[in-house]
Amino acid sequence: METSNELIALAGNPNAGKTTLFNALTGSAAKVGNYAGVTVSVKHGEMRNSHGKALDLIDLPGTYSLSGGSPDQQIARGVLLGENDKIAKPDLVVCVLDASNLERHLQIALEVIELEIPVVVALNMIDQAEKTGLRLDPVKLSEELGVPVVPIQADKGKGIIELKQALGHPFPPTPEASWEKGDEASRRAFGLQVAELAARRPEAHTSTLSDKLDRVLLHPVLGWVCFIGIMFALFWSIFSFASIPMGWIESLQDWASGTVENTMAEGDLRDLLTQGIIGGVGSVIIFLPQIILLFFFIGLMESSGYMARAAFLMDGFMAKVGLSGKAFLPLLSSYACAIPGVMAARTIDSPKERLVTIFVAPWMSCSARLPVYLLLVPMLLGGSEGGAKQALIFLSIYVLGTLTAFVVARILRGKLGPDDIQSHFLLELPPYRLPQWKYILRHVLDRAWAFLRNAGTVILGIMILLWAATTYPKLDSDDPGEVLSHSIVGRVSVAIEPIVKPMGFDGRTGTAILTSFAAREVFVGSMAQLFHVNEADDDAETRNSIREILAAQTWPDGRKMFSPAAVISLLIFYIYALQCLPTTAVVARETGSWKWGIGQFIFMTVFAGLASLLVYQVAKLFGLS
Amino acid sequence: MSHPLVQELKSDSLQSLSQAKVGCDFQIRRLEGPGCDQLRNLGFCESLQVRKLANGRNLICSVCGTRVALSSDLADQVKVEAASS
Repeated sequence: METSNELIALAGNPNAGKTTLFNALTGSAAKVGNYAGVTVSVKHGEMRNSHGKALDLIDLPGTYSLSGGSPDQQIARGVLLGENDKIAKPDLVVCVLDASNLERHLQIALEVIELEIPVVVALNMIDQAEKTGLRLDPVKLSEELGVPVVPIQADKGKGIIELKQALGHPFPPTPEASWEKGDEASRRAFGLQVAELAARRPEAHTSTLSDKLDRVLLHPVLGWVCFIGIMFALFWSIFSFASIPMGWIESLQDWASGTVENTMAEGDLRDLLTQGIIGGVGSVIIFLPQIILLFFFIGLMESSGYMARAAFLMDGFMAKVGLSGKAFLPLLSSYACAIPGVMAARTIDSPKERLVTIFVAPWMSCSARLPVYLLLVPMLLGGSEGGAKQALIFLSIYVLGTLTAFVVARILRGKLGPDDIQSHFLLELPPYRLPQWKYILRHVLDRAWAFLRNAGTVILGIMILLWAATTYPKLDSDDPGEVLSHSIVGRVSVAIEPIVKPMGFDGRTGTAILTSFAAREVFVGSMAQLFHVNEADDDAETRNSIREILAAQTWPDGRKMFSPAAVISLLIFYIYALQCLPTTAVVARETGSWKWGIGQFIFMTVFAGLASLLVYQVAKLFGLS
Repeated sequence: MSHPLVQELKSDSLQSLSQAKVGCDFQIRRLEGPGCDQLRNLGFCESLQVRKLANGRNLICSVCGTRVALSSDLADQVKVEAASS
């Protein structure tokens, strides 16, 4: 990072509250959680010290020590040692330590002191430490370490002014190690001795609220009941509760479309607005409530501390497919979006397990597939939305994607062989905390905004192009079917129909699939545009939903085009196909090779095509076409 | 300095954390095996007290007031003796 300001780095163990302090110092809203490994990359910000001087601040991923560890921990180490090409060596390090657990957290502070950089220690979550009966002596700690020590409560903003004052200007002098530098045993012994002097623990082990909650939530039977209950609530809210706000968006869209139709003269521009923009983009925006709910639930689980418990419970199950409980968070996040899921895999210690997790993550049905499923599933049920049958089909879709991912993970893990250095399951179970609502809401809003921005740029762009491709070159005819077949899309459809017909689709559906390789949710808008034309001469039909239009489509021989076999085949294609260019780019970056990104794309697309072909042909044999 | 035999007898009286009884406090005496660094990073250091909270495929322990879940393979590498109360 090229800058004239001095650089301060926040370092410490995972889940010590570094990002919360980063947000408090910079006034930003970076994602925080109550789970080791929420921050997997370096965050940059700017803060001002107590004299008003601007300073650059970086938030490093949590690390237990400066030697080895998972990729996110190595990033922190590289920056602190001045070995990072892009980030200069910090001028001062603020070591953020969890006050409740000085014995452990002090070790990283001692390692940083050995680097001969000015250090300030921020003793975080002091309130919780004192609640457990711990008696802390920051003055003593400061004397022993030879660096300023400031007690803070980053989430409440307490101690931030004192911390800024402690940074001072010029920075405090470089501390000197009073143990044998570079000798781990000597450093550990010194750390334990200092912790004993500066933090007096109560003699008796007191049972905290977290202990009591864990007795239920980690119970071999009750724990699973709660876990399944929470997962059920998550998916129920997405598929059932979300229909209420979705109805509001739909009404808004109808109103907008009606207003444009009533106020504008007939012509290309009106068609572009009503069919291309309002119809196309609107059919995607309608899924916003579901995406918000999914990110909200995941935020809630991370912030409360439950995510670590879920990883603990899932470890036994994940071991059966060659993964560990640590792969649970990346895979669960992938239900919302594969990109944060793939990035969260950085917290997995074993490189091979990490690679396998990244490889199968896109098969966890992400929120971009929801619009497609919600369009297609009711078509299997005679057009009616909601009800137990629909819920069951949805569940089967998620289970199918997940199970296939696990089978492939098992095979791939076997092929890659064991790790050079065996990693064991070791996970901190943080105390339960009340969720940090402010940050959850900010995070959810960010994700919602990203979705809307995508709808307003990529999807809008594709919709406009698609509208033009279905309209031009123009044919002077009143028959919309003829106009479409004369257009660019009509010609493309004819060309690809022989390829997609064995899978049960006509050329237009094939074209809609092609357009959705840029982003899956485009499919719904594309179908709305591509099939709208045939019905344009029938006003009553035009007002009906896209689903009814599709259901009425027939092949030239009179057979129903969207027969159960074709709809199932289409669903199967969307469960397996990797139609998301940003995911491929992120996978290539995270694995450090385009070979994995492109290999995954080709594998998943070919798999999707073959599975779809097989399903359609078998379903046809059973008379479902 | 104690006699080598006394040392040997003492180390025989140690048990691994995976064998230790749930609900009891123990003193960590020795870490041996390939997972030592991983364990030390999460606070499992010689001379510290640990309370075993649950058994299973993965154990749950409390070290310095932090709950930690660890695999039984790792727990085998932590040698403990009953804490003197």
